[in-house]
Amino acid sequence: MPLHSTRVNVPDIAFAAFLVGLGAFAFALTAELNMGTAASMGPGYVPRGLAVIIMIYGAILGVRAVFAGFQAFPEIAWRPLLLVSGSVALFAVLLPFAGLALTSLAVVLCAGYAAYDVRVKENAIAAVALAAFATLLFVAVLGLPIPVWPW
Amino acid sequence: MDLIQNLATGFATSLTPANLGFCFLGALIGTLVGVLPGIAPITTIAILLPFTFALPPASSLIMLAGIFYGAQYGGSTTAILMNVPGESSAIVTCLDGYQMAKRGRAGAALSIAAIASFVAGTIATIVIATASVPMSALALKFNAAEYFSLMVLGLTGAVVLAHGAPEKAVAMVLVGLLLGLVGIDVNSGSPRMTLDLNGLTDGIGFVPVAIGLFGIAELAVTLGRPQDRDMLSVKLSSLLPSREEIRACIPAMLRGTAIGSVLGVLPGGGAALSSFAAYGVEKKLSATPERFGQGAIEGVAAPEAANNAGAQTSFIPLLTLGIPGNAIMALMVGAMMIQGVQPGPQVMVNQPDLFWGVITSMWLGNVMLIVLNLPMVGLWVSLLRVPYRLMFPAIVLFCCIGTYSVGNTVFDIWAMLLFGVLGVFFYKVGAEPAPFVLGFVLGPLMEENFRRAMYLSRGNPMIFIERPISAVLLALTVALFVILVLPAFRKTREEVFRE
Repeated sequence: MPLHSTRVNVPDIAFAAFLVGLGAFAFALTAELNMGTAASMGPGYVPRGLAVIIMIYGAILGVRAVFAGFQAFPEIAWRPLLLVSGSVALFAVLLPFAGLALTSLAVVLCAGYAAYDVRVKENAIAAVALAAFATLLFVAVLGLPIPVWPW
Repeated sequence: MDLIQNLATGFATSLTPANLGFCFLGALIGTLVGVLPGIAPITTIAILLPFTFALPPASSLIMLAGIFYGAQYGGSTTAILMNVPGESSAIVTCLDGYQMAKRGRAGAALSIAAIASFVAGTIATIVIATASVPMSALALKFNAAEYFSLMVLGLTGAVVLAHGAPEKAVAMVLVGLLLGLVGIDVNSGSPRMTLDLNGLTDGIGFVPVAIGLFGIAELAVTLGRPQDRDMLSVKLSSLLPSREEIRACIPAMLRGTAIGSVLGVLPGGGAALSSFAAYGVEKKLSATPERFGQGAIEGVAAPEAANNAGAQTSFIPLLTLGIPGNAIMALMVGAMMIQGVQPGPQVMVNQPDLFWGVITSMWLGNVMLIVLNLPMVGLWVSLLRVPYRLMFPAIVLFCCIGTYSVGNTVFDIWAMLLFGVLGVFFYKVGAEPAPFVLGFVLGPLMEENFRRAMYLSRGNPMIFIERPISAVLLALTVALFVILVLPAFRKTREEVFRE
């Protein structure tokens, strides 16, 4: 049965699934921890308690969402999401060996394309200018201990 | 006369050239982000947080505070001139401010907005200075049980006043509390939920979480929306309001200040809620409510006074009880903790220069803001011509560098990315990140106080009801929940947030 002929509220059930999944994950992760007693709580007492509460709460929200009336999951703007996340990942990957100047250049070049109205030339100029500005500001002026060049 | 002596201590700190400079910088940046739609003060504070760690604690807090109330001034400028709220707290200012601008009274509206903000800022500074002494004294009587109950009340308030569905806000608080517990347990030394990652032994970093949720996620969502920014060129004829306008505004300003001062202190309150409430009250009290929405100057004065007062008084619970009332104050807790300052009543006792310095700097900042905003309005408006596509790559880069600089590790960048993607998910399913951040900050504190209280009572949970202050706080919590499920309140609440 296609979803839109049901009464499922898709965003709500997605959120509920997230809660149940997270609760279960935390519950599994804290399995080894000592619970202790109410008077002398071990490290596992509060996190396990929270994990259980979150799972139950998520399950309740999930049941409610099934009968809440159909609502589609809102459309995701993939281009901005992927390119913004991509440029952050690029920063993490490049910085340790490429240095701040080149990394900044790559990050801005990549991030610029997240906008639907990107202009190739303008973005390139912005990348060079921002890389220079960021390197000067953060390394030369603020003195952050980040290597500037790969060599 | 303690008040005067305290203020003198404060001015001795806030009037040093360095702190005056940071106050100015904060007010300037605040105005800037207030003017620019798409960059919220919380985003800015999150991004700038790592760069303030090198500063002395007082300077860092003075600057971050300046960003918050500065944004309240800046937000009104675009609201009045272009019908674009720079901040959520300026949405109501659009209603009458823009109508005034259309009728050629833009200058008067801008002046009234700035004057109302200034009057409110001045009164709010005095309110903070007088209210914080007894509040701190009360807080020093607090024990583990009281602290736990107070945090429960605070988080409940945040849920009641959160935008969007309250049942999702409850879930977000719980998730925040859980994730706040990641890392080594201080009592037993055992690592909890760390996935055997070294980067998680000290817990999930506060900066990656804040920047991911409020920086990266915000950008990805904003870019996905169509950018509409029509420049309606409104002529700024005269900045001076007429005598009748001023006369009409004074009571509105004072009422707005009072409403903002009260709502700012409430958990979950702050600038945006205050301005909505103040507008509603003015409309109810007015002899001619039909003028509202058509350019009533009281409709500009009251919410502008209220949002500035609310922005400032929301520092009271933070500075005296150590409990953040809203997400921006949660960021302030983060800023204080990383500076090695444990927020709470002992700050006033042990570091009076820091405490009073921050408070007096708020008044100085308000003086600077009136100068920054009125004569320089044209400059701020011209900034709006910078297209968003040129601004956001810089923000992405600053988010990365800022997060990296906290611990000089790319682990934090990956954490930030994860929370950025999670933030987009939260946005899409209609769950607010603000209650999450509050829970995240309060998680470890709540657990510690809960464990201690239960230890003292030998495992008897009745301790939370047997101690009178704790019982009152929990009764208030229950009352809030009851109000929340009352159908009448739900309806008003939805109406308020829809406007």
